Amino acid sequence: MASVRFKNVDKWFGKTQVLHDINLDIKESEFVVLVGPSGCGKSTTLRLLAGLEDISAGDIYINDKIVNLLEPQHRNIAMVFQNYALYPHKNVQENIIFGLKRAKASRDLIESRLDKASKMLQLQEFLQRKPAQLSGGQRQRVAMGRAIVRDADVFLFDEPLSNLDAKLRNQMRYEIRRIHREYQTTSVYVTHDQVEAMTLGDRVVVMKDGYIEQVGTPMELYLQPKNIFVATFIGAPSMNILDATLYPEYIELEGQKLPLATNLVKTSVPSDGQKVKFGIRPDFFQDEQLISAGEALTTLPNVHIDIIEPLGYDRELNLKLGHQTLKARLDLRSTAREGDTINLCFDMRRAHIFDIETEKNLTI
Amino acid sequence: MNRKRSLLQNMLLTLAIVAVLFFCLFPFVQILSTSLKHQFDWGNPSLIPVKINLNAYKELLGFVQATEEQIPATVKKLLENPLITPEQREKILAKYRSTSDVFPFPRFFLNTFLLSASAASVSLALAVLGAYAFSRLRFGGRTIIQRSILFVYMVGGVLLMVPLYQMSVKVGLARTVWGSLLSLLLIYIIQTLPVSLYMLGNYFRTIPYSIEEAATTDGCSRLQSIFVIIIPLSVPMLVTVFVYCFIIAWNEFLFASVFLKQYHMFHTLPLALQSLFVSKNAIWDRIMAASMLTLIPVIVCFMFAMRNLSGGLAEGGVKE
Ligand SMILES: Nc1ncnc2c1ncn2[C@@H]1O[C@H](COP(=O)(O)OP(=O)(O)OP(=O)(O)O)[C@@H](O)[C@H]1O
Ligand SMILES: [Mg+2]
Repeated sequence: MASVRFKNVDKWFGKTQVLHDINLDIKESEFVVLVGPSGCGKSTTLRLLAGLEDISAGDIYINDKIVNLLEPQHRNIAMVFQNYALYPHKNVQENIIFGLKRAKASRDLIESRLDKASKMLQLQEFLQRKPAQLSGGQRQRVAMGRAIVRDADVFLFDEPLSNLDAKLRNQMRYEIRRIHREYQTTSVYVTHDQVEAMTLGDRVVVMKDGYIEQVGTPMELYLQPKNIFVATFIGAPSMNILDATLYPEYIELEGQKLPLATNLVKTSVPSDGQKVKFGIRPDFFQDEQLISAGEALTTLPNVHIDIIEPLGYDRELNLKLGHQTLKARLDLRSTAREGDTINLCFDMRRAHIFDIETEKNLTI
Repeated sequence: MNRKRSLLQNMLLTLAIVAVLFFCLFPFVQILSTSLKHQFDWGNPSLIPVKINLNAYKELLGFVQATEEQIPATVKKLLENPLITPEQREKILAKYRSTSDVFPFPRFFLNTFLLSASAASVSLALAVLGAYAFSRLRFGGRTIIQRSILFVYMVGGVLLMVPLYQMSVKVGLARTVWGSLLSLLLIYIIQTLPVSLYMLGNYFRTIPYSIEEAATTDGCSRLQSIFVIIIPLSVPMLVTVFVYCFIIAWNEFLFASVFLKQYHMFHTLPLALQSLFVSKNAIWDRIMAASMLTLIPVIVCFMFAMRNLSGGLAEGGVKE
C-alpha cells in the first residue's frame, strides 16, 4: 500500500508535449481510474509512474518520497501492459510467478498465489502453454495474473480487460473489485470502458490531449461535469448538448421558454439573451404520461420521435426538436411510437448550462 | 511464382541447379576421393578408389605410429652393423622419426579448436553487451561508434597485417608463444566483432522492448533482464554468431602464418595444411585426409546452426 502524488508533471516526447501540468493525489489503497480518448496520455501517465519513461518536469512521489530518478525495479509496482508484454519463452505458470520468484518469495506462497490467480483468471488448463499458444484474451489474463500475484505497493492496469468478451469482462471486473477489497492495494487503472470506470473507480480522472479535465468520484463526474467534454465523455448515451439562449428567468430552447430552477446559474453569469449550450442527460427524461402528479418537473412539449431503439431494459428514443437532435431513454412502459410526438419531462435541477466559448459548466 | 512452368523451363532450371551444385560440391568429392586412394591410384581420374585406403586417416588420428618401414633398406643394413653403438643407432633412427616428418594432426586440431573457440566465445560475449547497447540505449556518439566499427571491418585484413605485427613486436607480445597467441586471439575477436555486433543488434531490435520493461517492473535490473529475457530469446542468433566467429577463426590463414610462423607446435590447421602442401614429398592421401578432417568441424557447426535457425522464439509476447 502506498500513496502516489503527481506534482506539476510535464512530459515531452522530442518537441511534442504529451502531458501538461499533471497534478494528482492518490491516497493509500485508493482505486483511481484514468479515462480519456485514445492518445490523450493515459498510458504515458502510467509509464511515468512505473519509471519506464523519464519525466520532463515536476515530481512524482510514492509514499511521500520523490521517485523521479528511481529505476522501475526499485519502485515495487506491478503493471499490466496494454500489449501484454508476456515472456514468450516462459510458459503461463512461469510468467505468472516470475515476479514472486525474483522477490525470493517462499515456495508455499508462490504455490498458493499461483493457485488462486489461475483459478480466478480461469487459466488452470493453460499453465503449461507458451504465450504463442494462447488467444488474445487468454494472454491478457496471463498479463493480469502476473501483476496481481505480486506484493506490490501500487498496481498499474493499462486496459487489462480490453480483449475479453462481455461476459468474461464483467466477471473479471467483479474479481478486480474483490481483489482490491481484500488486499487494498493502491491501483491506477486505465480504461475506455464507461462501465469499468464508473464501477471500479473510487475516483475517476478524465483526461484530454494531455490535460486532466476533471477528477472526482464517478457520481460527481456524472452529475456535475465541469465542462462539455467531461459531460459528453462520461455516461452512455452521452449528454444532449443543445443550442439555447439564456435569460434571467428562463432559457429559450427552439422557441420554447423553459423556466429556470432557482440557483441553477450563478449570478455572476450575464443572462440577457446570451447564447449558451443546454445540457441534459437522456436518462433524465420521462414520458409525461407516466409521471405521477406532484413532481415539480419541466415539460418539453411536442418533440418529434424519429427512431426508437429498444434495448431490452429500456427504450432509446432519437428525437427531433426543431433542427436539433436529441436522445431520451424512457422506461419500457412508454408507448411512444416512431413518427409520433411526445411530451418529455425532466427535472431542471439536473440540467446544465455551458458557456458557448469556454465550454465550462455555468451551473456549478 | 508462376506455377505453370513448361516442361522445358523445368528441365533447364533443374539443369542449372545441378550445374551449380556440381561446381560447388565437386572439389569436396575430389578431396574425399583422393584421401581414400592408394598411391598407385592417384593419377586415376575415376572418383571411386580402386581399393579403399584408410591409412592416411589412421595415421593422422594417431592410430598407427610412423613405422620403421619408412627407413630405407640401406640404412637398415647399416643399423644391423654390430660396430654401431646404441647411441649412434638412436641418432640415426631419430632422424627418421623426427617430428618434421610426422604430422601431429591431433595437436594442430586442438590448437585450432582452442584458439577458435576462445575467439568465438569472447567475441560473442562482447557482441551481446555491445549489440544490446547499440539497440537499446541512447547515448551520445552511438551512431559514430557504430559506423566506425563497421569501418574497421571493411578496412580489415591484409592492409592491417604489417602494422598489427609491428605493434605486437613493439609491445613485446610477439616475443613469446603466448604473446603471439594472444595477439592472434585479439585479432580474431576484432575481426569478427563488427559482424557479430551487427547481426545481434538487428536481432535484438526485433525483441519488443516492452518485454524487458515488464521484467524491470517485475524486479530485474537491466543486466539481469539481458540474462533473463534477451539471451534466452536470442539463442538461435547467438548460436549463429558463435558459429560464424568460430569458422572465421578456424579457417584463418594469413594472420596465423605471420604470428605463429616460428612456433611450429602451435600451428593452426590451415598453416599446417599449407606446410603439407609445399613439402617436397607431397603425400596426397595424407594431405587430402587432413583437409577432410579440417572440414568436419565446419560442417558440424553448419548443421548445428541450421537446426537453430528456425527462430520465432519471441513470438506471442506482445499484441501485434
Ligand atoms: N515513445 C513515444 N514517442 C513519441 N510520442 C509518443 C511516444 N509514446 C506516446 N507518444 C504520444 O503521446 C501521446 C499519448 O500517448 P499514450 O500512449 O499515453 O496514449 P493513451 O492515452 O494511452 O492512448 P490509447 O488509449 O490509445 O492507449 C500520443 O499522442 C502518442 O502519439
Ligand atoms: Mg494506452
